[in-house]
Amino acid sequence: MTGRRVGLVAWHVFKESVRDRVLYAIAAFAGLLVLGSVLIGQITAGQDLKIIKDLGLATIEIAGALMTIFIGVGLVSREIDRRSIFALLAKPLPRWEFIVGKYFGLVLTITVNLWAMAAALYLVLAWQDMTATEGARLSWPAPALDPRLLWAMVMITAEMALLTAVALFFSSFSSSALLSVAFTVGIFVAGLASTDLRHFNDIVQVHPAVGWLVGAIGWALPAFSEFDIKSQVVHGLPVAPGLIAAMVGYAAIYSAAAIAMSVVVFARREFK
Amino acid sequence: MANAVSTDRLTKDFTAGFWRPRPHRGLDALTFDIPLGGVFGLLGPNGAGKSTTLKLLLNLLRPTSGRAEVFGLPPGDVRAHQRLGFLPENPTFYDHLSAHELVAYFAGLFGYPAADCRARATRVLDQVGLGADRDRPLRQYSKGMVQRVGIAQALVNDPELVIFDEPMSGLDPVGRREVRELILKLRDEGRTVLFSSHILSDAELLCSRVGILAKGKLVAAGSLTELTAGASRGWEVVAEGVTDVLAQRLRARVVRVTPISDQRYSFDLGGADRPEPFIAELAAAGAVLVSAAPLRTTLEDVFMERVQ
Amino acid sequence: MTGRTRALIVMMALAGVGAAAGVLHARESAYPLAPVAERLLYLRSGKTADRIMLDFDALAADIYWIRSIQSYGRDLKNRAQPDRFALVGPLLDLTTTLDPHFLIAYRFGSVFLSFEPPNGPGRADLAIQLLEKGLAADPTRWQLAYDLGFVHYFHTRNYAAAAEWFERAAALPNAPPYIGPLAAVTKAEGGNRQGARQMLRGLAVSEEDYIRRAAERSLQQLDALDAIDQLEALVQRFNEIHGRYPSGWQDLIADRALTGPPADGQNAPFVYDPATHRVALSPGSPLMPLPEMLRR
Repeated sequence: MTGRRVGLVAWHVFKESVRDRVLYAIAAFAGLLVLGSVLIGQITAGQDLKIIKDLGLATIEIAGALMTIFIGVGLVSREIDRRSIFALLAKPLPRWEFIVGKYFGLVLTITVNLWAMAAALYLVLAWQDMTATEGARLSWPAPALDPRLLWAMVMITAEMALLTAVALFFSSFSSSALLSVAFTVGIFVAGLASTDLRHFNDIVQVHPAVGWLVGAIGWALPAFSEFDIKSQVVHGLPVAPGLIAAMVGYAAIYSAAAIAMSVVVFARREFK
Repeated sequence: MANAVSTDRLTKDFTAGFWRPRPHRGLDALTFDIPLGGVFGLLGPNGAGKSTTLKLLLNLLRPTSGRAEVFGLPPGDVRAHQRLGFLPENPTFYDHLSAHELVAYFAGLFGYPAADCRARATRVLDQVGLGADRDRPLRQYSKGMVQRVGIAQALVNDPELVIFDEPMSGLDPVGRREVRELILKLRDEGRTVLFSSHILSDAELLCSRVGILAKGKLVAAGSLTELTAGASRGWEVVAEGVTDVLAQRLRARVVRVTPISDQRYSFDLGGADRPEPFIAELAAAGAVLVSAAPLRTTLEDVFMERVQ
Repeated sequence: MTGRTRALIVMMALAGVGAAAGVLHARESAYPLAPVAERLLYLRSGKTADRIMLDFDALAADIYWIRSIQSYGRDLKNRAQPDRFALVGPLLDLTTTLDPHFLIAYRFGSVFLSFEPPNGPGRADLAIQLLEKGLAADPTRWQLAYDLGFVHYFHTRNYAAAAEWFERAAALPNAPPYIGPLAAVTKAEGGNRQGARQMLRGLAVSEEDYIRRAAERSLQQLDALDAIDQLEALVQRFNEIHGRYPSGWQDLIADRALTGPPADGQNAPFVYDPATHRVALSPGSPLMPLPEMLRR
């Protein structure tokens, strides 16, 4: 029963988000950038393939983050603003199922979009592969249609699932979309600096209490920086499956914690 | 349990203001019961606390103090929600869905299998007269159509208790009559209907019991007959062929004389007087009786009296 | 949801964050992600960068500056890296092409570039090129002329050029008063410890931490050299008095020439070689290695 209700809410989030124009604007921009990478490849001294992969993966990640943030912060607050939530909460739908359903719906939306963009990237890489000379091909550290890129996509997907949970959390208690966006972007950027924050004491000499505090913040923040295996994958370096499994596990645990907090916040909300 | 809804000193304070929050009492110690079956009208001017009460029953708001129960269960209990339907005030739904998709979605939340959901959606949409438009997206709907979708989604689970918040808003006279007939039909089916409104005439036609709210307080509650006391306030007699002389002579014996047209007058008799002697006197004077009707206290009278 | 359930869920959520941090830590130990050293600059030409960055030259300059520092810092730690410090020069060039008035980039950049190995690439020529580029953009910046004198004095040991740059710096607007005398002293004495000391004292009041610390260290080195001179003089005196050279510090201490084993400013004891009768800094002293031009 629970599963069915959560699934219904999730499916409807997907249906609604998939029709959201913002999504297509971002995807189109990303597509243009990936195509543009082919041009940029020309001016960077024979590094075309690397540029395309670098730019392609980075674009997909940023586009994913933009989609996640802009749709995620509205997941709950939009329903409340539009007042469509009244009829919904009068149904036998526990509030926590509402939140969990929203989460999975957006994760589904973002995943579909990310992998569609990945498919587009592979098309560009395939074209590059077909038109490359033998000499160029020998200089590539990794094949054009490298399946290892998929591992980077798995990491990006896990990263975005975590970001969704963060955006959902802010959506649950803030009615101001602008504020939610600001907070979510802030956490995302801080999380991208997570490695430096955690190893603060190794880098900067400060009062031990300050160092400890900064380090603690670094450990508590969602470590978005640790999902980055783009360089490794592009250079053809091996990535341990254990690393990927651990980071997916990290994303799952942290997302669950953020969703739990969203549930607690949302359970207390009143709707005038 | 005997009651569909029951409240006990239900109170809700809202805090207004950010720097020095001042509490504003939206609902003050509301206590009433709604027995199963029948139509209960929650009446009052705007801002009286009608919507607040309904939202407190559905756990959309939490009480500051006091208790409420729906089917003997606390507000928000999913077992209660399984058996009720709710139409919010000025509802909005999901623009990108069609009416049928929306109602089927909501039906799914009750746990019906997919085919049953679709069948129920079709049925309730036909019931509210939207059968032909059910596959058009909601963004193309007029306000009245959206209101009807709202009613439909409130009925999709065959609820024992139906809660309507301002069900007539946005409807033209035809629509309002249809809703009135629907409410009566629901009553005849044995369901309990609770609706809020500031339109008293609808309440008079529909309700077996009413509660009148003013500034958060329940100022009157009971069946219509109880409230309007049944006692006649007097009689209004309309007669033709009344000469000016006759009118002048009778003026002293009645509360008011109102000329209607040439030789047709309306006489308001006082509360204690029976009309028969007066009519006899008119007949004896050669006037012709047009109508004689008792003046009952209307709900509006009660309302104006209690609300001021 | 009751208050207790809520509290329980919040605690579990916090525990979840803690557990996640634990997973992260475990993963870092078990599967460390070797950083792929970005040895590659996509853009080598400042002019191309300029065109690409459109309106965001200043921002791009900042980013390249940060990359310069990071590149220097990373290579500083990584002694085994084959082409250490190779990117510092090009990155600084990009930074200063995108923002020709970026004073700190010129000043610190020249410091990084001129440090001798193992602390830097030892490319005083690139440092000079960078500073001259800065002066071309900002001819009245006395700091850049001063830094040019510094590089010549300490790294290329071209004292005539150093003196000339100090003189030019002293003539520029807002130059502090100690530069004039510094130019004079450098001209006259160049390479002399006294002149060097005066110059270093001038640097030891710099606002920049790096420069101040380097100056203080050099001053200690000079003090150590003076101390060595004095100690060797004591050794010679001992020989004159006793007809033989001391076999160690104990002899001098017994002779009341010293009160205890002498040590340098960093408390590393001086080393006396009885065979050659020479005094030297302990090889393990933090003041090692001494700058070449100050050795005798």
